[in-house]
Amino acid sequence: MQHLANLTERRDRTSGHAIEVAHVSHVYAGADGGVPALHDISLSVEAGRFVVIVGPSGCGKTSLLMMMAGLRGQSQGTILCHGKPILEPDPKRVGVIFQEASLFPWLTTFDNIEFPLSLRGVPRSERRRRSQAMLSLVGLEGFGERYPHELSGGMKQRVSIARGLVQDPPVLLMDEPFAALDEQTRMTMGHELLRIWSTASKTVVFVTHSLTEAVYLADEVLVMSARPGRIVDRIEVTLPRPRTYEMMATDVFGRLRERIWQQIRETV
Amino acid sequence: MRWPSPAAVRWMMLAALLVLWEVLPKTGALPELLLPPLSKTLAVLFTDRYVYFAALLVTLYEVALSMLIACGLGILTGALVGGFAVLRNLLLPVFSSLYAVPIVILYPIFTAWFGIGSSSKIIFAGIYGFFPVMLSTAAGIRTIDPQFLLAARSMGATLTQQITRVIIPASVPTVFAGLRLGGALAIIGVVVSEMLTASAGIGYLVTLNRTILDSPRVFAGILAIFVLAIAYHMLARAIESRVLVWQAAGRRRKSSSPDTSATVPAPVAA
Repeated sequence: MQHLANLTERRDRTSGHAIEVAHVSHVYAGADGGVPALHDISLSVEAGRFVVIVGPSGCGKTSLLMMMAGLRGQSQGTILCHGKPILEPDPKRVGVIFQEASLFPWLTTFDNIEFPLSLRGVPRSERRRRSQAMLSLVGLEGFGERYPHELSGGMKQRVSIARGLVQDPPVLLMDEPFAALDEQTRMTMGHELLRIWSTASKTVVFVTHSLTEAVYLADEVLVMSARPGRIVDRIEVTLPRPRTYEMMATDVFGRLRERIWQQIRETV
Repeated sequence: MRWPSPAAVRWMMLAALLVLWEVLPKTGALPELLLPPLSKTLAVLFTDRYVYFAALLVTLYEVALSMLIACGLGILTGALVGGFAVLRNLLLPVFSSLYAVPIVILYPIFTAWFGIGSSSKIIFAGIYGFFPVMLSTAAGIRTIDPQFLLAARSMGATLTQQITRVIIPASVPTVFAGLRLGGALAIIGVVVSEMLTASAGIGYLVTLNRTILDSPRVFAGILAIFVLAIAYHMLARAIESRVLVWQAAGRRRKSSSPDTSATVPAPVAA
């Protein structure tokens, strides 16, 4: 039976909806009745897809992501992850990667990656084995004993991605993870992320305000309006995979980028 | 000519001071009553070594206990005040203003309450050292990057784990800065109170010998306190750099400091 259950779970991971958001609204409490932040958002993310959410700043895209992560509650509506509601953070179902790499400066790279495992009392040897594997996945072998302040911005985000992946959650939520990086590093990191994604077969929901990044990374771009945030468009990115830097110069890329820009401009 | 390193210059300045201490009174440039020569001071320290050693033990005992009070109470109160907004709003302004009060004014009352023995010194110096420890602990906890806690929660940390695994290690550097200052104030508190009203301790010896114009013995006491304070400072520094290895690590390995694009393998060509 256990075997069967595992099989079903495996199928759940690779087919159907990884994330389902149904009629989610959110109002920030305030003196004059509150500020509406999100308005009736419904969306679903198929398992294994790379979905990017874009929108003007302050549209609530980060709030929406935090709700998917169980880090913040919504006023109305439900959010399901593989059919089960998200009520609190669960690193086994959902890994979160933040804009600031938010690594703990008092821990080495190894200990940072192993942090979620050590919270659960995973034995040390097992932890080290898994963090080693993650470290080579993100291309940082040999940096396990370094402290965060000895790493560059791009390397910190790699470690942060490794930490998000170490419990092998089917879903990865990324909140503008490369926004603080310089342009070149940002491009490299985007490319790296696609490589990791293609080997790890995860569902990714990625929030950004960079349209180029959105088109380059996504299977599907969701455009949000200014506050109160609504989903105003859903754009399939038909560019083939693996993506290459050269694709950015193509007409298809330009048209997709233009369409998203039009949507955002109209809603502001 | 190459300039000597700052450390070498510091040692040379110290040596020069010691030489001047010996030479100035010897040549008659300064009367021995105001500055007895170093050799005379050391000689007195040697002949009276049992007296000074006993006094030093009393002082050390008082310093140790008052540091314990300052650090223990300071960290505890600081954690509560830093962690709970209600307590913070209620108490932080009070503590901040009390810190500005010259608490030494309360010392006569303490001697009345606790006698002229060690207890009054320990309590006075403990309170004196308490404030910086408490204030910096509160600040350390209050200024933790909320992103750390958000990340910890996203990884499933319980409240207890957030405290032990994030809040405590994150506030250690600030707390340590407070401990170092609090410890120094505890030493000052003990010595000052010994000089005011006491029956033992180095401070007491200094005051006693001053009243009978025995300059070498006054300076012997001063020298003992200097050595004590500097030893404390070096010890605190050593402990701090041990505990905060993660802050010093970069400086130690600076030469091999990594650089993103150069050290990380290039992305797989598409």
